[in-house]
Amino acid sequence: MAGLRPHHRKARRVKIVVTLKVVPDPNGIKRIDPATKRLVRTGADNVINPYDEYALEAALQLKEKLGDTTVSVVSMVPENTKEVVRKALAMGADDAVMLSDAAFEASDVWDTARVLAEAIRKHGFDLVICGGLSDDGSTGAVPGALAEHLGVPGLTNARHVDVVDGKLTIQRETDSGYQVVSGPLPAMVSVTMGVGEPRYPSLKGIMGAKKKTIVMSAHGDLGVNDALGAAAAKTELLEVGVPATRAKGEVLTATDGAEGAKLIFDFLQHRKLI
Amino acid sequence: MQHVIIFGEHQRGQTRKVTYELATEARVLADVLGGKAHAVVLGSGAASLAEQLKRYPLDTIHVSEDADLDKFLIDPVIDYVEALARNVGPSVILVPNTMYGRDVGGRLSARLGAGLTSDVTEIKVQDGKVDCVSPKLGGLAITTCTFKNCDYAIVTVRPNAFAVQASGGSAEVKQLEKPHAGKSYQMVIEQDVEEGTGELGLEEAPVVVAGGRGLGGPEPFQTLLRPLAEALGGAVGASRAAADAGWVPYSLQIGQTGKTVSPPLYIAVGISGAIQHKVGMRTAGTIVAINKDGGVPIGEFADLLVVGDLFAIVPELTKLVQAARAAHA
Repeated sequence: MAGLRPHHRKARRVKIVVTLKVVPDPNGIKRIDPATKRLVRTGADNVINPYDEYALEAALQLKEKLGDTTVSVVSMVPENTKEVVRKALAMGADDAVMLSDAAFEASDVWDTARVLAEAIRKHGFDLVICGGLSDDGSTGAVPGALAEHLGVPGLTNARHVDVVDGKLTIQRETDSGYQVVSGPLPAMVSVTMGVGEPRYPSLKGIMGAKKKTIVMSAHGDLGVNDALGAAAAKTELLEVGVPATRAKGEVLTATDGAEGAKLIFDFLQHRKLI
Repeated sequence: MQHVIIFGEHQRGQTRKVTYELATEARVLADVLGGKAHAVVLGSGAASLAEQLKRYPLDTIHVSEDADLDKFLIDPVIDYVEALARNVGPSVILVPNTMYGRDVGGRLSARLGAGLTSDVTEIKVQDGKVDCVSPKLGGLAITTCTFKNCDYAIVTVRPNAFAVQASGGSAEVKQLEKPHAGKSYQMVIEQDVEEGTGELGLEEAPVVVAGGRGLGGPEPFQTLLRPLAEALGGAVGASRAAADAGWVPYSLQIGQTGKTVSPPLYIAVGISGAIQHKVGMRTAGTIVAINKDGGVPIGEFADLLVVGDLFAIVPELTKLVQAARAAHA
């Protein structure tokens, strides 16, 4: 047993993978062109899906706590969003894999989860952390599907994530409170914004990110040989419509509480809501 | 796809209204497809929920109260539903678009190689094809999706989108056999902590009374908003500003990075209605706002904005609603 110091033995390195989607800036002005049925964005850039920033924040907090930990980003995005992905490196991720291939376009939940699972498995992982939803597609179904494709426990909707001696424990948000759920690694966790406000990249982080590695990976690198993207998808978008816009309603001023209450009460009665 | 299976979500036997919405829609859909309407209800309290569901026009209600279902997170649930789906054959599986339902839907999609459409507000069947309508991008676009290359279709259904009609119930209740007997599960539910007052899930409440920065602190959520929400039979929600300030838990937050709600009535109290809040509630039936400032963004899309002192208006409104309820009772 020479050289082994059991009491000071370093914990095994923890490999964390954060999945990251790029979406149109939710704060940008967006509208649907009625003629082309396509999304028109004016002055809006692509950004990291806001929910995924929480996933990255949770990963970076764990890295700070656990020490010997790597945080990698895996992102299924077009090649031209490299600078968006680099922001994750500036926030503190160690490296990134971009799955950029026209073959991935129009992937649905089933296919997205399958491709991500292949890439994550190839990269190696102890813990995968996902955001709970995406700001654009917002199916919220990818984390669960990803856990199934990876064949590991999937602990969803965590507002707190902790790893102690290789055991994962989360506080899982429910509609009426929370559950404490534990399980072994490797595992997948999806997080809510309860994990804490995502950090801003520091100047040092931004400079350092330029030297970090972004590996570009395409269809052929994954070993997925069957159909992908639109050809494999199990759903198909038939139509995009524009909903009727909400008209500006009445604006009434109340001089006291009773008057204001009466205005609302009468309005609700008129609409048969009371 | 011929049959329909609904996933009966409940919390320890306390039924969610959306389950009845799914039960009603399941019959309509099964009739058009020429198949049977099934429900699956799992976990402690499932038997009592099955009794409730018998009032709805389903063919079979499948039940299990296997202790593993409450002891371990979600995996046993998915095993049961997968086994049932394979037994029933190609089908449309309706799950509620709630935190839990989205999780169930995603996993079933992977297990069954199924297509998934989310947050669906309307289902149309044409020539045996199932088309699903859902609002996307915070209500900015309405998409219609169909299924292909799959025997199973998962539809996560937006609460409050489908009518409830309890009639024609003659369903048979069947006990499910345990799939993969002897399988050990790994994700242990160690504690279940109640934080709220056991109120309705925000996403399915018929009325949401939401508070924002204008409330000035945590107390008015309890003293002002909760009594009004209770009088209206609804739930309390909040803007991000209120959640960020720590006045309410994040689970009450409505809008971007929070919940999307679509109740018949939404009352926004002291909320300015910036875009990140708007995307979470703009598909509500009627929107009423109370704000001291007549120039707030919510005035541009609320059906009624009353400009005044919320601290004076809300208690008076609560009294009027309580009186009206008492007169009807």
